[in-house]
Amino acid sequence: MAENKMIEVRNLTKRFGKLTVLDNISTSFAAKEVVSVIGPSGGGKSTFLRCLNLLETPTSGQIIFGGVDICDKKTDINLHRQKMGMVFQQFNLFENMNVMRNLTIAPMKIRKMPKEKAEAKAVDLVSRVGLADKLSAYPSQLSGGQKQRIAIVRALMMNPDVMLFDEPTSALDPEMIGEVLNVMKALADDGMTMIVVTHEMRFAREVSSRTLFLDGGKIEEDKPSKELFAHPESPRLISFLEKVL
Amino acid sequence: MQFLATMENLVVRYHNFFLEGVRNTLIIAFFTVLLGTILGTLMAMARMSRIKPLKWIATAYIEFFRGTPLMVQLMFIFYGLPMIGVSFPAVSFIPDFDRFAAGIVAMSLNSCAYVAEIIRSGIQAVDKGQMEAARSLGFHQRQSMTLVILPQAVRNILPALGNEFVTIIKESSIVSVIGIADLMYRAKGVIAKTYNSLECLAVAAIIYFILTFVGGRLISLMERKMSHGRK
Repeated sequence: MAENKMIEVRNLTKRFGKLTVLDNISTSFAAKEVVSVIGPSGGGKSTFLRCLNLLETPTSGQIIFGGVDICDKKTDINLHRQKMGMVFQQFNLFENMNVMRNLTIAPMKIRKMPKEKAEAKAVDLVSRVGLADKLSAYPSQLSGGQKQRIAIVRALMMNPDVMLFDEPTSALDPEMIGEVLNVMKALADDGMTMIVVTHEMRFAREVSSRTLFLDGGKIEEDKPSKELFAHPESPRLISFLEKVL
Repeated sequence: MQFLATMENLVVRYHNFFLEGVRNTLIIAFFTVLLGTILGTLMAMARMSRIKPLKWIATAYIEFFRGTPLMVQLMFIFYGLPMIGVSFPAVSFIPDFDRFAAGIVAMSLNSCAYVAEIIRSGIQAVDKGQMEAARSLGFHQRQSMTLVILPQAVRNILPALGNEFVTIIKESSIVSVIGIADLMYRAKGVIAKTYNSLECLAVAAIIYFILTFVGGRLISLMERKMSHGRK
């Protein structure tokens, strides 16, 4: 993972008041890497992910993305967020817009992409996730699995360099988890750089190339996924895996 | 039956009186809604501002105007302010301009506080995830607000704002205490002439009810039109 670092995290610390959620974390992510972040609730997984695109402002530390420290106040974070797609647990599709508008608004308003081009792209991407017939639907008319697939496409519309997933299947009914994971797997196979906070251990083990185990605000273990699941070392990881597997 | 007959008699004999009252009530309500909404929107923006002093002033204003009686505010403006040299001028071609101005100003300042709270809570009721999703795509704060948050907030705001408008029609009856010839003032005038207090108040109540009922219907009609096409 060392050579082409797409994102480098240096000494990242995040405190909420007196509570230290992330404690001096350093790691890096290479292009085309698919990394799962697992760990118990409250261990700092989501906060870690949200720090990567500054939805949470780190208390201290640096996040180097594309050679720039995005924590620097002088950096225009909006520019960098365009290259970091994010998918949320609660989907967060824009409720006031139909699917087509959800997909095209960012490329059109931010990238000034012509409407026809944006819509053609939306049609293309949405067909790949099997939802071409939903373009005129509003989010409230979609199932959770459909919403999440649209949310993934919305992020992809900006051609991001990296995709951040914040527990993308945790709010879904069990029978809908598969359809979302399939889309994510296809994305991984296409060579997208992905960082995925997840409770889906099978996804972590089988799809992601590397897994981080985050507990108590620290990276307790960081290994290729197969190895981490086959030979967990730290006692905390062992007891965590016993509970969830 | 006697009661209804007296009411009918009152309406027949004094309908011009009552109608003039209705007209003045509607004038007061119209300008209060207009000014209250404009000022309330600005006040809501100040209340949510990142500039701390602005936020404090707006919060204090809202708390004060919601925490004191409209009657006191009205009397303060019409009777109190002239004592320190601030009074509304009389305008020759508009009768009672000073009273109307004081009434509209007092009611607008009061309504402004309520409207500000309606708008603020309507905006804050939009799920936080909507803003995060917009920001994560690279939208600026302002774009996220105008493209994503406000269109959704409007749907929270409109019904409550409609209620506020209906409330203004009713509350405006208070301006009768500073001598504005609104519906309530006229009702009291008819009582003084006829001594039919109960019947007179009943007529006034019915007219107020018609105003608020029709107003309420019009507003929900508008709401339905605006939410057309989505669930």
